[in-house]
Amino acid sequence: MTTTVRGQSTIWSMRGLIWNFARRDLKSRFKGTALGWAWSLVVPLSTLLIYTIVFAVIFRIEPPPLGNGRPGNFTLFLFAGLVVWTVFANGINTGILSLLTTGGLLKKVYFPSYAPVLGSVIAVLAQSAIEVGVLLAIMVVLGNTSWTYLLVLPWAVLFVCFLSGLVHALAVLNVVFRDLSHIISVVLQLLFYLTPIIYSLSFIPEAWQGIPLRRIIGANPLTEFVTAFRNCVYDLTPPGFATWIALAAWTAVAVGFGVLVHRKLGLDLGERL
Amino acid sequence: MSDPGLSFTPSASEALVEEPSITVRNVSKAFRMHTERRDSLKERFIRGRSRGHHTFQALDGVSFTIPRGQTYALIGHNGSGKSTMLKLLAGVLRPDSGDVIADGRISALLELGAGFHGELTGRENIYLNAAILGLTRRETEQAIDRIIDFADIGEFIDAPVKTYSSGMYLRLGFAIAVTVDPQILIIDEIIAVGDEQFQRKCFDYLHSLRRKGTTIVLVSHALGIVEEMCEGAIWLDHGRMRKVGPAREIVRLYLDEVNATEIKLASEAAGADAPDATEEADASPARGGSGEVRVTDLEFVSAAGVVAPVLLTGERATFRLHYEARKPLEDVVFGLGFFTETGINVAGPNSGSGLPPVPVLAGRGTVDFQVERLTLSPGSYGVSTAVVSHSHTFDYIDRGFQLAVRGSAGGEPGLARMFGGWSAGPATVQPESSETSRSLDPPGQQPIRRPSEPATPHPTETAHA
Repeated sequence: MTTTVRGQSTIWSMRGLIWNFARRDLKSRFKGTALGWAWSLVVPLSTLLIYTIVFAVIFRIEPPPLGNGRPGNFTLFLFAGLVVWTVFANGINTGILSLLTTGGLLKKVYFPSYAPVLGSVIAVLAQSAIEVGVLLAIMVVLGNTSWTYLLVLPWAVLFVCFLSGLVHALAVLNVVFRDLSHIISVVLQLLFYLTPIIYSLSFIPEAWQGIPLRRIIGANPLTEFVTAFRNCVYDLTPPGFATWIALAAWTAVAVGFGVLVHRKLGLDLGERL
Repeated sequence: MSDPGLSFTPSASEALVEEPSITVRNVSKAFRMHTERRDSLKERFIRGRSRGHHTFQALDGVSFTIPRGQTYALIGHNGSGKSTMLKLLAGVLRPDSGDVIADGRISALLELGAGFHGELTGRENIYLNAAILGLTRRETEQAIDRIIDFADIGEFIDAPVKTYSSGMYLRLGFAIAVTVDPQILIIDEIIAVGDEQFQRKCFDYLHSLRRKGTTIVLVSHALGIVEEMCEGAIWLDHGRMRKVGPAREIVRLYLDEVNATEIKLASEAAGADAPDATEEADASPARGGSGEVRVTDLEFVSAAGVVAPVLLTGERATFRLHYEARKPLEDVVFGLGFFTETGINVAGPNSGSGLPPVPVLAGRGTVDFQVERLTLSPGSYGVSTAVVSHSHTFDYIDRGFQLAVRGSAGGEPGLARMFGGWSAGPATVQPESSETSRSLDPPGQQPIRRPSEPATPHPTETAHA
């Protein structure tokens, strides 16, 4: 069963192709629009504004204090969580369709199916990098800085691997079951409220009518990622050892899922698309 | 259908063996066919796994090797597994069982410009497409000027690809493929696209690749191209290996069978409404058309004005079509088609090109086509006849008549004889003393030294050096 016609390829050897797919996604996304790249900032900032009005002004949610002892600012608190969520949701939503949109090509030329998927993840990351930059700039202006910023780097490595593994698995599965992308968009809505983005985990009662709410929300991998990121840039407290273990474990599960689906289904997409 | 006596024996390809560039060993590939695909979960939930599916065996135990640096074609009818084989070679599909082994960088041209993104400019698409074909960024940057030059689409290179004409699209796609410099090239019918100039560019490129020692595998229905370009051919029939060997031989065997099948089908169809035709079943050729007019005979009339079994190259010849019409018709065009034994269409004269239409009355009649000098080279030809009106076909007989042509004197190579005279044009006379200039003297210039002499070269003159 060894077919050497496909040659040996690793993610590293495919980096040129992955990067080219990322460039394609980035360049085509805002082509022909008047605001162009500005949209990648306008959309999240307006989301931020809307949520701030709804949850801070109308519902009066009290944010925890900033890491430097100043009173909490809901907009910043929300921003720190929303950035992570935006990367996650955009990564899933665009990545899951990346094989179907690039698909015709896979019937004509062989290349590893993860290349367009990872390319679309990179494109989403590049767009969100601006947001993260804006967030950190505001934090610096407010004097809310600490060495814990450095922990964002290992956090980001884990998060990108977690996201990539998950997105690739979903993208391949979506080729086989085309409904998946629609199901996922519903799941994402639910997941948004099951993740402490507009609230913090401590707001949640231990149990509500016998349902262990806090444990359910805490078991969500995104809770771990959002909370750890917020600890690093808002609370300025380093995430504990147990958190890092949990992050690494979730990443391993997602990557394993991605590899498994790739081996099972991702090699024969040429006849499924 | 597949006669075991004709099944593949490795001898033909083994005879050519040096180093195999591509080895296909006992490869099978089946596709699941659904009457209706059930890819969505709802369908799976509601109706369960689709029960109606059956497998379609696209390839069944195919084995062959292609020696390094040779050009091979895959031939066979539609659905014979050619394209599946090509996709397996390109790595797009994986075989269910068996091995496909290649020993070099493969580039597949299954579709030109397949990876183009409409919103991106030509230049941006070059980077993307080159990466898909396996070029690094540095290699692409080195090649990009060459690509743009080859594509020759001017300022459009910086315009979005969605604004391109289909011709520009193909040119750019091909230009990118040119630069990949593969060791093995897989081509699917691309030669059939584009305008004349583009096709020539393709051919020139393919020839240059062949000279460089690239192994080429192509699928083409243009059997003339196969014969001309390929050393070998692989004949697939319903997913099985039928025969492999020298291209000309395989193409001829393939055509023989296609013709035989066609004749069989035609005679079966004819047999249904005219039982007495079955006697001639073996000899009767493929026939088509609506039948208001039928060609009943084709006679060859020699220069002497008599019906002859053989015509002579260079002599006057008349082709006399006998027809029978059920009703009077206007605007009828008669045509002839001359084919070599290998199926090459040498000529196809017809009465339609600018000539007044031939009136046809109900009943029997004849039409003559006369040539002053028969240009066909000696050999035997199959002659097709056709009676058409605009795009409607009244009658068509595929190579229903055999024409033997004999040469009068002296053989010249080629399918056609060109009757003409040779004469010398003006040329610069080189000084005779220099030895180098003498060696460069083409023999054709020699008669010029004596302008008074007739143009026909004299054998004695060439002896002067």
